[in-house]
Amino acid sequence: MGYAASEPATTGTTPAMAIKILIAGGFGVGKTTMVGTISEIRPLHTEELLSERGVGVDDTSGVEGKTTTTVALDFGRITIREGLWLYLFGTPGQDRFWFMWDELALGALGAVVLADTRRLQDCFPAVDYFERRGLPFVVAVNCFDGARRHDPAKIRRALSLDGVAPIVLCDVRDLESVKNVLTTLVTYAVGGSFGDRLPPRDGFTHPPAAPARPS
Amino acid sequence: MTGDDPGPLVRLFGLTGGRARPPGEDFNLVAIVTTVPTAHAQGDLSPEYLTVLAMCRRPTPVADVAAQLRLPLNITRVILGDLRYEGLVTIDRPRPATQAIDERIYREVLHGLRSL
Repeated sequence: MGYAASEPATTGTTPAMAIKILIAGGFGVGKTTMVGTISEIRPLHTEELLSERGVGVDDTSGVEGKTTTTVALDFGRITIREGLWLYLFGTPGQDRFWFMWDELALGALGAVVLADTRRLQDCFPAVDYFERRGLPFVVAVNCFDGARRHDPAKIRRALSLDGVAPIVLCDVRDLESVKNVLTTLVTYAVGGSFGDRLPPRDGFTHPPAAPARPS
Repeated sequence: MTGDDPGPLVRLFGLTGGRARPPGEDFNLVAIVTTVPTAHAQGDLSPEYLTVLAMCRRPTPVADVAAQLRLPLNITRVILGDLRYEGLVTIDRPRPATQAIDERIYREVLHGLRSL
């Protein structure tokens, strides 16, 4: 049978590694669009069967007698090379799925909190959650057509951010823009250990500049 | 498949013998599953188990296994836990990303993102 073939199980000398990044934010803010913009595959969709453990105490009306339900989990993938991947997981929007955030956040590199300036309060729970967990995050303000371009300093105040988490303006439909969000997050989360620094904070008041290097 | 339709759920839990949790240590969504090259499976494994063994000859993260199997994650995890118990796959415990990423990987990731 095929599974007994003698093909080597690892590729190259370094072990395979998958790096997890969370995409959080309120319902309809563009999480799935962002994942779809940069993922090399159409966002994959899987479901988590919830036992009673996962069903919150908040909303049991109408689900009496129901022992399982499902929550969709969408994720995208970026292959850096054979055996090194970035996985982008959209976090479930509903509050009663908070327990899934714990699992998603476990071992993650960091998170993108997508914000819509018309409904900034929708991203408060995500900001609170990542601050409490100590997981590095960047706030990405989705500047879609017609949205007023907000001053990141004002957004920082509105979110009561501690002044460390970067704020980037982005368009979740634009590849360069999403790349900028993710490179900002990666640099913020681990770059400091390797001598890389983010631009000064006021650098984020300008639209993201496209990387100069040829692709 | 939705929670409103118990049929598939019954079938899925039938696949795992009614179990919702994998045997042994729990593992992460991005833990890497690798089929043990020398593993010899008994002939009585169900097709889903054999699919995993074929798929994971190339190291594959748990979430991807679930998506390719088109099965819910915790059903997938029970299957993976069984295969690990039988010694047919290994499941690496991922270290926190911030500890696991060395400078070379960090540069690779940045370069890879910018090259998209």
